[in-house]
Amino acid sequence: MIQLCDVRKRFGEHEILRGVSMSVSKGEVSVLMGPSGGGKSTLLRTINGLETFDSGAILVDSIHLGPEPGAMREQSLRAIRRRVGMVFQQFHLFPHRSVLENIIEGPVYVLGESRQHAIEVANRLLKRVGLSDKAQVRPSTLSGGQQQRVAIARALAMNPEVILFDEPTSALDPEMTAEVTSVMADLATSGQTMIVVTHDMNFAKSVAHQVHVLSEGQIVESGSPQQIFAVPLHETTKRFLSHLA
Amino acid sequence: MAGDTQHAHPIHRSQPSCGAKWLMVALGISAVLATESFGGQGLDRVRQRGRLIWGADQEGGGPFVYPDAADPTELIGFEVEIAEQLASRLGVAAQFAQGQWDKLPDLLNRGDIDIVLNGYEWTQDRSQRFGCSLPYYIYQLQLLGRRGETSMQGLDELIKLSGNRKPKIGVLGGSAAHDYLTENHAAQVDIIQFEGAAEVMRGVEVGLEGLDANLQDLPVWTFFEKGFTELSPIGSPIGKGYYVVLTRRDDEELLRELNRAILEMLTDGTMRTILEKYGLWNEVQASRALEMLPNGQFVAATVRSGSTASNSTNVTEYEPVRGWNVVRQRGLLLFQAAGITILLAVTAMPLAILAGMLMAVGRMFGPRWLASLVTIIIEIIRGTPLVLQLYVIFFLLPEIGLSIHAFWAGVLGLAINYSAYEAEIYRAGIQAVPRGQMEAAKALGMSPVLALRRIILPQATRIVIPPVTNDFIALFKDTAVCSVITVVELSKVYSIHARSTGAIVELGLLTAVLYLAMNYPMSQLASRLEKRMARGPA
Repeated sequence: MIQLCDVRKRFGEHEILRGVSMSVSKGEVSVLMGPSGGGKSTLLRTINGLETFDSGAILVDSIHLGPEPGAMREQSLRAIRRRVGMVFQQFHLFPHRSVLENIIEGPVYVLGESRQHAIEVANRLLKRVGLSDKAQVRPSTLSGGQQQRVAIARALAMNPEVILFDEPTSALDPEMTAEVTSVMADLATSGQTMIVVTHDMNFAKSVAHQVHVLSEGQIVESGSPQQIFAVPLHETTKRFLSHLA
Repeated sequence: MAGDTQHAHPIHRSQPSCGAKWLMVALGISAVLATESFGGQGLDRVRQRGRLIWGADQEGGGPFVYPDAADPTELIGFEVEIAEQLASRLGVAAQFAQGQWDKLPDLLNRGDIDIVLNGYEWTQDRSQRFGCSLPYYIYQLQLLGRRGETSMQGLDELIKLSGNRKPKIGVLGGSAAHDYLTENHAAQVDIIQFEGAAEVMRGVEVGLEGLDANLQDLPVWTFFEKGFTELSPIGSPIGKGYYVVLTRRDDEELLRELNRAILEMLTDGTMRTILEKYGLWNEVQASRALEMLPNGQFVAATVRSGSTASNSTNVTEYEPVRGWNVVRQRGLLLFQAAGITILLAVTAMPLAILAGMLMAVGRMFGPRWLASLVTIIIEIIRGTPLVLQLYVIFFLLPEIGLSIHAFWAGVLGLAINYSAYEAEIYRAGIQAVPRGQMEAAKALGMSPVLALRRIILPQATRIVIPPVTNDFIALFKDTAVCSVITVVELSKVYSIHARSTGAIVELGLLTAVLYLAMNYPMSQLASRLEKRMARGPA
């Protein structure tokens, strides 16, 4: 489904991504972990083009995304973004629109679906994330956990092949984390492909199929959560895990 | 009858006959591309049209051109009557066109009017740039001082008595008196320029900042004498000059016909009758032909002997109208003018906002060349005065063949001027929208244009409502500047009627109330809009 080949990105003197290669197959939940500043978010954001990269290649559902700017990249990006949803740490809901309008924005204006159909889908998604009664309110009236669930519904409304989660629970109070992770776990069970940047070890243990540890722009260790958490091989992983525990 | 003061833009030019094209200028403003040359066909055009369009400024226009006290929608004045006489002797009707006094020659060059007939004196310079007719009036200048304060006999004595201190003499800026002092006494007096003839007299009367005297056109003084009881003339009239009709330089045929008509009016006594009616006839007028045509041919003809002295009860004079009466009489005119002000503002502002928004977007998201271009444009627009921009649009664009109707030129000028400010406001507004909004929109697969339209600009708009409202209110007041390009809006109508009646306070209050009444609902609407957008879904 998604393949990254030797992706490199440099910011001035500092090399943020130093040749990252990984792949995510359909229906798989991949978690990116690692110390702060290791390049997790940057890597995630290169997949849907919110960050550029300098060399290497990304394949999403057999659409090739290269580093060169220009019309080719723009065209690929548009195709990729329709297939790849994203959930941000800070939600980034559209404050001038109601919850329902936030969810139908993409289907109606990007995919060109009928408004009526989009609303039906949106209501179904709101029910799925447990916010049926909030369709007409503005996002600013919701709690952080509720806003993140709306953001997930907004991503789902595009019927994406894969959803990227960029630290989806880091901005939430602990008591709200659960309501978001349970929605994500539910998605995982239904076979949704996901790539999740998170520090939440419990989520990784219970939901992820693959865990990639990223440090200083490189994947230092990959494997099943059981492997990684039980017998970490790399020094960085050990240090990082002891830090989390 | 005289021109109609109610029309905001009394200049109706007939459709240019050959090759006129409509073209859509950006922002949907229509302009006329006149490919016709005005030169040399003045008389033909006047005859074809059946109207002689004469330009003058009714503001402070007594005894020249001013609203009739009995019916303020009608114009009277000796120049109104002369214009009608000239037109009828050319076999056509006279049509008045309002223009700011100092811009009348520009209107002539633009082709909006056929002649300027508004106390323009003959000068060497003018005679080279325009056709100058035979004089229809010989003016003199009168020095005026406060009554009882001086027993001086004239300007020279005033200068001598003042010693080392230069006497301060007020004049109408650009008037004959101004020229006279500049040429003859520049080193000896301080010249203080005023915007209106009546203001100078008022200034001397109330002793404004040590203003010693006023050098005034004699006809103006003759006309206003009764309204300024605290003023008295110092010495006898001095200087001498000629009010002439101006035509375009190459309209020689028209000029010849006008001269013929003026001569006719002099010989058959029409001119004298008109001048007497306004109390302007004096002996100097009788000597006109002697001065103008030294060969003597017209001496006898000019001064028609046997004409009895004027019927003094019929003399039209300045009658100050004050109090409630003037408001009742002329209030409606101010209301109508307020309509033009509203029309200007509500047409210009949406265009300014739209253009400003596009400029802000171009500057922030466009390619580098576009961003720099927009930045330069914004700086140029913000860095130059509105009055100059209007002048360029209205008077200079016709030189490259792009002639825009006065109202639309006003709208365009205001829209362009304000677009620069709106652009900067919108730039700040867009910057105030969190970065994540754009990322979320892109992540949904939106193109930059769609993201701007659906996500960024609606949020920026909510942010900019207060400063934009502020500008809208400012624009309402800036519409007043459009009077330089002949758009007669509220401020201009106020000036015209305040000066012709002396009711500066009464009409001023009404004008202020009208502006307030226009702006207050704007503020209300804006704050309601702001609340509504901040609250529930639209």
